[in-house]
Amino acid sequence: MKRVAILLFAAAVLVSLPWWAGDQYQLHLAALIGAYWVLIAGLNLVVGFSGQLSVGHVGLLAIGAYAYAILAGTHEWNVWLALAASGGIGALCGLLLGLPSLRLPGFYFAMATLAFALIVTELVLALDGLTGGGVGLSVPEFPAPFDTAAGSYWLILGIAVIVTWLTWNVARLMWGRGLIAVRDSMVTAQAVGVPVFHAKLVAFVFSGLTAGLGGALFAVMQSYITPDTFLFELGLFFFVCIIIGGRGSILGPFLGTVVLTALPELSAPLAKLGNFFYGLLLLLVVLLLPEGIGRLFQIGLERLRPQRLGSMPIEPQPAQLALAIKAGQR
Amino acid sequence: MSASLQASSVTKRFGGVLALSEVSLELRAGEVHGLIGPNGSGKTTLLNLLSGYYRPDHGRILLGSEDLSQRAVQARAQLGVARTFQKPRLLPTLSVLENAMIGGWTDTRSGFLASALAFATARREERMLRARAAELLQGVGLGHVIDRRANLLEHAEQRFLEIARGLTGRPSFILLDEPAGGLTSAEIEHLGTVIRVMRECGIGVLLVEHHTDFVFRICDRVTTLDLGRMIKHGSPAEVRTDAEVIRVYLGA
Repeated sequence: MKRVAILLFAAAVLVSLPWWAGDQYQLHLAALIGAYWVLIAGLNLVVGFSGQLSVGHVGLLAIGAYAYAILAGTHEWNVWLALAASGGIGALCGLLLGLPSLRLPGFYFAMATLAFALIVTELVLALDGLTGGGVGLSVPEFPAPFDTAAGSYWLILGIAVIVTWLTWNVARLMWGRGLIAVRDSMVTAQAVGVPVFHAKLVAFVFSGLTAGLGGALFAVMQSYITPDTFLFELGLFFFVCIIIGGRGSILGPFLGTVVLTALPELSAPLAKLGNFFYGLLLLLVVLLLPEGIGRLFQIGLERLRPQRLGSMPIEPQPAQLALAIKAGQR
Repeated sequence: MSASLQASSVTKRFGGVLALSEVSLELRAGEVHGLIGPNGSGKTTLLNLLSGYYRPDHGRILLGSEDLSQRAVQARAQLGVARTFQKPRLLPTLSVLENAMIGGWTDTRSGFLASALAFATARREERMLRARAAELLQGVGLGHVIDRRANLLEHAEQRFLEIARGLTGRPSFILLDEPAGGLTSAEIEHLGTVIRVMRECGIGVLLVEHHTDFVFRICDRVTTLDLGRMIKHGSPAEVRTDAEVIRVYLGA
């Protein structure tokens, strides 16, 4: 009941934002957080759950953005079709990137994703017939009623809620545990039968899908994209949002995204110190709170419902055990 | 249910070191089979061959008549062979219940997409596994810590949780790597209770263990290794009185 009440309250706050936000810029910022979150929610399954350190998702974001701009702009596709195609192309590129690189051990995988992001930027410059090269492309906006600041905010909010729901389902059901096993104990994952490579790959392809969608939304908000829109720092930023938020949590990385996007923008002195601010926050979290800010909330909840700690002896119940074993026998 | 899990004259080398030389072992359904020997005698190597972490250089691993020698670790879980580890390998950020549930992975038929969309089948599987894992945890005596994060568990609790995780996979055979290590004598008694229940239910239990009293008390048959060779196998009474076993392992 309490959980439903909190969810309803959060929904009311988010939906009504256009009426109480201070100005258009704040609304724009909220929509930007939403677009980032669409990507980060998917990336969270890769980084936070399966433990694969991708720093190159900005490459997939760029692919989604250009796919949308080219299909909806140059080729004048229906924008919704173009939006869906951006997600599909993102997923396909995720597959093509994941197939060779997800077999690599951690550090080398991170390097492969870094290389991927750099290659995408260079390709965008090289294929100037398609992408406009350094000059860039203008991005068609969504049709009414999504062409206003509030309209596009609601659209992005809706997509972000759906993506969050999908990742929440993955996280709370067996696949979430399987991915965490891949992250925390490969040996256990294998012993219980988790197909390690396959699990990493599907999570990665899913993150490609959300990165492609996020890219299209991001592009619409920018209304004009050039290769400079997709600097490598942005990829690092996505990664840092998850690490600061906490691995294996959804709320944590979401708060990480909100804080890291909004704080430097809302306070002018912090904006000048943008990278310094990220660096400091990252350092503090890694040193003091290695499980991220999501863990703070968990600890708070645990305090509210104190557990009976202290040890009780292990007392096997033979009859019950025999019943439980026999119930499952093949 | 297969009648036996078998190592058939397996040999394993690591570089120039002969870790196992033509060792055979047959674990039958419904028996407790002890595997003893000094440190470095090849017990864990044999366990890793049976559970697929290593592949034999010669010889075969058989489940019934099926050759598992070249199959991946994951295939064992699929076919009903579970194991525990000498140093418990739990998922520290998950609860005890979720750690036990992960043992039932092979019963997860829902794909990633079906889970993401929370299809009814995925939710039903989740409920079923949750119930099964909870019952098994009650059964092994961990009912009181079911919601605790696994990194807060005491050593003995970790060991019993590994067994519960193995059982959630509905195994026909379970391989226990030094399950009594670090347990008090009372806890070893409880471990004995759990092992006897597994035997009664027809599960074949391989017990790699240094607590020889415990092994001779609970096992139906015992195999002894030394320097990668099998030196004696038979009933506990035969093995504990064998001159060679006494010389290399038990001591006078």
